[in-house]
Formats: sequence, structure tokens, C-alpha cells
Amino acid sequence: MNAKYFTGMGLALALGACVSMPQPNAALETARLAVQTAEADPNVNKFAPLDLDRSRKELSIAEDASLHHRDAEVDQPAYLATQNARLAQAHGATRADDARVAAGQIERDQIVLASRTREAENAKASAANSRVAADAALNQRDQAVNQRDQATGETARVQAELDALKATPTPRGLVMTLGDVLFDTGRAELKSGAGRKMDQLGQFLVEHSDRRVQIDGFTDSIGTDSYNEDLSQRRADSVKTALINRGVQPSRIGTEGYGKAYPVANNNDSGGRQLNRRVEVVIGGDHGTAISPRAGL
Amino acid sequence: MRQVSRASKLAKGATLWAMIALSAAAYASSPIPAEKIAVAKSALQRAEQSGAPEFAPREMAAARDKLARAEKAAADHNKQSATQLAEQADVDAQLAEATAQRTKSHKAAMEFDSSMQALRQESQRSSTN
Repeated sequence: MNAKYFTGMGLALALGACVSMPQPNAALETARLAVQTAEADPNVNKFAPLDLDRSRKELSIAEDASLHHRDAEVDQPAYLATQNARLAQAHGATRADDARVAAGQIERDQIVLASRTREAENAKASAANSRVAADAALNQRDQAVNQRDQATGETARVQAELDALKATPTPRGLVMTLGDVLFDTGRAELKSGAGRKMDQLGQFLVEHSDRRVQIDGFTDSIGTDSYNEDLSQRRADSVKTALINRGVQPSRIGTEGYGKAYPVANNNDSGGRQLNRRVEVVIGGDHGTAISPRAGL
Repeated sequence: MRQVSRASKLAKGATLWAMIALSAAAYASSPIPAEKIAVAKSALQRAEQSGAPEFAPREMAAARDKLARAEKAAADHNKQSATQLAEQADVDAQLAEATAQRTKSHKAAMEFDSSMQALRQESQRSSTN
């Protein structure tokens, strides 16, 4: 329809040119420029072709009126052509922007989706990291538990060792009594049978190097006090020597001979006297706690 | 309606003058100004609702002025003037509305562009993390 019309307009222009040139018209000039501008706008051709058609038709009416010197009929279609050309450009720009946003929405959705996916993966990864951290924490806890168990085990082992030594807790410390079965009568040398007991005690003291040890010697009431005190001291010294031989530092070992003092049984019968002939080994507490001297029962 | 009658005139080409004469006759005898004024009023209302008073105040003012003058011309039985003013008011109102839409769409597109740019940067940053 346009092509047909423009052909017609071309003929009309050619005919008009033969007759006479139309008077210049400002509204028509504006309309021509507006239509040209709209035609050059790619958004108009793409998004507002109908507006442009309308504008061209009005322009052609104005051109036709101008060509045929119907000057009073030029301004109105020229104005409508101008405004429709501007309308075409406004609509074109609007639809171009809208189309760009619509296309961008798709890209945005893709980016958002990709970003969400990545976030999810990161979250998964960080969850995995958390799991690693949790595992590490569990490991640490397990180690702590193990250490505690080891400590508990250590305590239990010490107790077991002390039990093996038949040590009895007293205010002075753990007291292990070495009966006279380890000594020959009137002698201070340890019998060979004492060896195993000395090994246990020596090992315990080497392993617990912070513990002091006090060795107290006692006799029965038979014999003079000086003899008994000397004998009790020498028996204590024998035990000390045995422990030193087993690696216990001498400085940790105290000795004392109490003679017939502090009997644990009645000296009137042989059984009681046997119990009184003894060496008491007092094992101090942790951290080198000093062992108080024997006093009273 | 007017466009359709014009189109048919253009299509026929040879009967152009006859048709123009016919519509000129119609101007004189039909209630065209009232219809044109109604159309222009409707366009003006749409423009007012589209935010044109804010975004296209010049076109809005022109449309209102022309519509008022068209109504006055119609009241004065100046049909041709009323019709022409109503047509101009109509197209001015349409342009006001379109201008407002263009401004709003452009603003929205610019905002969208900057949000997209931020999103792309954010996406790029998070993907390199």
C-alpha cells in the first residue's frame, strides 16, 4: 500500500514540479525532518512501524496539499505527521528498552541460578569443611579422652603397683612394710628373696621420680636399745642401697633407725616380735612431698 | 476510523480527490468534532494516568490547551477548527503518554543495567572465591 502510495506521490511531485514550486511551509519542513529522523531510527523500524506508517501517510497528505497549493490543508496533516513521527520514536525507544530488559531478565535468571548453584556447592563444601572441623574436634576430644584414660590408667597402674607392693595409705604417705622374713635374724643384709620386692619398689620409684621415699627400720624389744637402733638403721640402709642399685637417686631416700620403738605387735610372743622386726618404706606423694618423721603410733 | 477511510482513499489513489471532497462534506454534516473530542479526552485521561504530567508536562499542557480550545470551537459550531484541535489534542496526549512511558522504561532499563552489572561482578567475585 505504501509503495503504491509513494509511487503516486512521486508522480504527483513530478506533475507538481511541472506546474509550479509549492510555497515553503514551516510545518511541512518540520514534518519532513521528523519523518526522516524517525525513518533513520532503527528502534522505530523494529518496534513502531505502524506509527511510522501513520506519520508517512499524514506527511503525504500534507505534501499533496502543498503540491496543489491547498495551503490551508497543509498544516494539520503536517502537524499530525510530526507528532506521529515523534510518537514512533517514543514507542520505539520504550519497546527497545523493554525488550532489552526482558532479554536481560533471562541472563539475570541464569546468573542468579548459577550463583545459587555455586552458593549451594559452597555451602556443601563448607559443610564438608565443618565436618572435617567436627572430625578434627572429635579427634581432639578423643585424644583428650585417651589422655585422660591414660592418666586414669596411670593412676590405676600406680595403684596396682602399690597394691603389688602391699603399700598402705597413711598420713605420712603410702607405707610398705618389709617384714623380717627379708632379713636373717640379727643381720642387716637383705635376703635373696627380698630381691623381687626391691625390684618392684625400685621400678616404681624410678618411674615416679618426683616421689621421695623414707625408710624406717624397727626391731623387737630383745637386745639393747643401741644394738637395736643400730640394727634398725643398718637394715634401713640396706634397703636404701638396694634401691640406689636399682637406679633411685640417693637424695630422694631418707633413712632412720628407730630400734624397738613403735612396735606394731606385742613383743611378749614370738609372732608379735616377728611383726615388730620390720622396715617400713614410706612413699611420699607426688611433687616430692616431704615425708614427716615417724611420731607416735 | 479516520485512518481507515484515509487508507482506503490512498489505496484507490485515482479517487483521492473525490474522497477528500466527500470527507469535506462529512465535516460539515456529521458529528465528527464530538467524536474527535471524545477520543482526545480519552487519550488525555490515559496520558494523565501514565505519569505524563510528571514526565511530559509540555505535551500534556499542549494537549489540554488544544482540547479546551476544541471544546470551545465545538461550542461555537466551528466544526473544522474543533476537529483539527481535537485531532491535535489526541496526538499530543498520545505523545505525552508515550514520552512518559519512554522515560519510565529508560529509567527502568538503566536501573536494570546497573543491577545486572552488580550481579555480574558479584557472580564473578563469588565464582573466583
